[in-house]
Amino acid sequence: MNLIPKYLVACLGRYWLIHTDYWQTISNRVEVATPLNSWKRLIEGVYLYDHGINPYEGDSFHESPIMLILFHFLLKKVPYLLPVIFVLLDALTAHILYKASKSFIRIFKESQESGKGQIAEDSITMLVTESQLDEVPIYVLSMYLFNPYSFLNCAGMTTTVIQNLLLAVSLWGAASGHRALACVFIALATHQALYPILLVVPISILLANVNQGCNKCSYIRTLLGFVLCWGFCIFISAFIMDGSYDYIYNTYGFILTVPDLKPNIGLFWYFFTEMFEHFRLLFVCAFQINALALYVVPLTLRFHKEPVLLATVLIALSTIFRSYPCVGDVGFYLALLPLWKHLFSFMQQKFIVGCAFLITSALGPTVWHLWIYSGSANANFFFGVTLSFATAQIFLITDLLFAHIKREFTLKNGSSRQVDGKPAKLVLR
Amino acid sequence: MLNLRLLLFSVAFLSPILQIKGDDFKEEMFIKPLPPSHLYVYFQFLTLANGEESFEHSHLAPRSLGEIVSRYQVEELHLTLTEGQWKHNTWGYPVLDAAPGAELYAWFAPDVVDVDTQWKKLSSTLSGLFCASLNFIENMNTVSPKMALWPTGAYSKSHQNITSQLRYASLPREIVCTENLTPWKKLLPCESSHGFSSLLNSRMIHNTNYHSIGVHIRRMCSGSNCLDTSLEIKQTVALVYDFKILNTMDWSLRKLFGQGLPGACPLSSSSRIYVDITSNSSYPFKLLPEPNSIMFSHRGGSKTELAVYEINHSNMMNIGAKYEMRNKIFVNIPPPLTFNRYVLGYGKEFGGIVTELSNNYWAPIDVVLLENAPWWLPIQLSTLRINGEAESKLIMSQYYSPGRSRQKPYHLELLLKLPPKSTTTVTIDFEFVFLKWQEYPPDANHGFYVGSALLSANLPTAKNYTSLPITGSTFDSIVNASKPWYPIVFRTNGGMVSLPTPDFSMPYNVICLACTVVALAFGPLNNICTKEVVLKIIVVPVSLRQKIFNIFKKKKD
Repeated sequence: MNLIPKYLVACLGRYWLIHTDYWQTISNRVEVATPLNSWKRLIEGVYLYDHGINPYEGDSFHESPIMLILFHFLLKKVPYLLPVIFVLLDALTAHILYKASKSFIRIFKESQESGKGQIAEDSITMLVTESQLDEVPIYVLSMYLFNPYSFLNCAGMTTTVIQNLLLAVSLWGAASGHRALACVFIALATHQALYPILLVVPISILLANVNQGCNKCSYIRTLLGFVLCWGFCIFISAFIMDGSYDYIYNTYGFILTVPDLKPNIGLFWYFFTEMFEHFRLLFVCAFQINALALYVVPLTLRFHKEPVLLATVLIALSTIFRSYPCVGDVGFYLALLPLWKHLFSFMQQKFIVGCAFLITSALGPTVWHLWIYSGSANANFFFGVTLSFATAQIFLITDLLFAHIKREFTLKNGSSRQVDGKPAKLVLR
Repeated sequence: MLNLRLLLFSVAFLSPILQIKGDDFKEEMFIKPLPPSHLYVYFQFLTLANGEESFEHSHLAPRSLGEIVSRYQVEELHLTLTEGQWKHNTWGYPVLDAAPGAELYAWFAPDVVDVDTQWKKLSSTLSGLFCASLNFIENMNTVSPKMALWPTGAYSKSHQNITSQLRYASLPREIVCTENLTPWKKLLPCESSHGFSSLLNSRMIHNTNYHSIGVHIRRMCSGSNCLDTSLEIKQTVALVYDFKILNTMDWSLRKLFGQGLPGACPLSSSSRIYVDITSNSSYPFKLLPEPNSIMFSHRGGSKTELAVYEINHSNMMNIGAKYEMRNKIFVNIPPPLTFNRYVLGYGKEFGGIVTELSNNYWAPIDVVLLENAPWWLPIQLSTLRINGEAESKLIMSQYYSPGRSRQKPYHLELLLKLPPKSTTTVTIDFEFVFLKWQEYPPDANHGFYVGSALLSANLPTAKNYTSLPITGSTFDSIVNASKPWYPIVFRTNGGMVSLPTPDFSMPYNVICLACTVVALAFGPLNNICTKEVVLKIIVVPVSLRQKIFNIFKKKKD
């Protein structure tokens, strides 16, 4: 399969978009740029750092010091190459996702082979064939390259491009059994955006499955590796900031306490705009626990045999519920969905979710313009759109999980939906 | 009546004794026509307190202010409450410029360690004293200027690092009215019963285009070697009358203040009225009654003529001017340095602040521009452009302290060399901030006031310059006071931005809706994780008729 034209078209498209007049608009869009990842703030942070002012003293920069140093270097040495660098990084992400999905498919094939014995006879036809599986990595690749969300994200030159790359590398590392790679990159991603810490769980399960042997030792080794790398990142960042750990207040503190209420596609901004001050702490804790801790344990217990599905769902859930989400995050987990192509026939809300994605993506910028520029709408309009976007994403994820459960059941018990000759339906008990 | 007279006499006799004890009180009034349409009236009440430091006893100096100064160890203090905007381009320069709203800055003694706490205490106390909302001064709207302000008095003892003891805050939203004037008048030795202060009738002075009341406290050297200092308390009022509102160009004290001047304050050592009659040559008018004397002043290349009236303690008098010619075209020559400030952009997402500085003089002028953006107006230093250039040669020095939301304002100071006969444009971009709903003031859609920028300059010429020399206290000190340069601090006009607002009536709805969406995820995920899938026989739904039939069937049984 020749993939070069795909890369070329996607890269040229992105590069062209960066060089059009729309670039400024795209990189300033609330859907694309959040206070965490926006290009404008990156420039400001680097400018302040360059002029000997601590960028973490004020409220204008929230990226990690490692990124600060990286972009300080890039902006000093090769400012004209930056669009190219962003485009190439995004293409690299796509390629690594392609590689990772190949590994995932290999794992999937193995587990399908080993589980063949328990499959009901009339469900044998439901097993995914070799040719179907071989198509999947190409779908993943195309989904990342041509997804408008990741397209806009790259064109907006947000740091989420780098975040996605780090996530993709860590997934690939885990799928191909490179523990060090996975640990280093997941630590870097966590250091940048905190929420990828969730992925430590599926990655350690994946690594344990791939590198067969003592499971517990593998978990401990992965966890230890992650903690060490993360600690090292934190330390090296402090070293960059002359030994001061104040930057943590401006990076993790900013992510956790949500002081900036600029609208984005998430749930936090309007909720905490309208929150009563004395309940604020309670709800900040509740929402952050919801995003960071609530679903990890139950989902892990339920889907520990499917670490890739677990990873997909955790990435998606943390995207939906994080404090400053952007379309780049959405584009990343959407690119992972083709891995579950065989579940699509079991999904019930594909049409609704698809329509909701389309409509909210079109309505969001419209009502934003009405509210901010023409003054004929108010905040509730945009809030409504972000709410429905979040709802659509939630439907997508829960539907995916239901589909998985249904397929599991069908594989085990056959595709007939009859109990003692009477018609029956699948329900949760 | 007799009692009052007795009191007055005794006061009149006592006043020399009081002067011997040290305190000295002077009142002065400076009237300057600003042709063709305005009249500038400036009062200053000077109290020189030579008493002890602690202000346990005070003579003419107001004890309330003295106590504040001694308790909070204030070296120098400037407070102004202003309504309206001084138009430097057409009116020239005022004696003392003031920012619209309330403005307070103070230097604390070098041995004050916790300046921020003292500052907070000082502003709260002054808030009570002047019935102004100075208690809103907090860390989030306070800066300590590095270059723009300097003490005008004798700053005691050590001279290093004065700026760390300085705090500056302005509250552009503050509305100034009668309730501020009344406590202000109470600080004067004669209150408002005698002397110039009896003219300050709130009905008349709040009817002006611009009015500003102020208190300026500084330390003055007592002797030539400056071993001892005494406290100078200067209370000022600046008023700009509009001839259109007065309905005539002929002005008199009675027209301006609703009454004549009932003589000087008996406690004052000198009561003088100065009328700037320089504009007489282009816009002739006749003063009535004739002034006691006329002073000529050559200062920095500009000539000033001042008519002086010595006011004595007794008779009621009225001073007025009668213009001779009408409808003459007036050519306004702009002062050497003019400026303008405005907000750029449309929509409520991104904007910019532009400050235009025009140097109309033939030599370069060095100025310090202090941009003091509140935390809800986050300026981005990387977008700073001088005449459209990012790295401008005009910037000689720069200081920037980034703000932090709800804690610290953005503070940018630029030392610029303005090239001769040119306009320099300083542009900086900002991003609108979305506040929490309880942080919006009442009437949130009215807009948010952006305070003035400070602009301090050393002018090479004294054209349009009316300020007193730094060592002088009274108006006679401006006579022939030529200096190599003339320091002045200007306030540019403020701005106004309209921040995006949430729907204030929605908190419960928003909380419910957002929580519902979270629950939409929690419910199914909980089901998926805790329940198992089973096949369940589909029960064919019974029709209503069947249901009713069943009920009867049961009864039969």
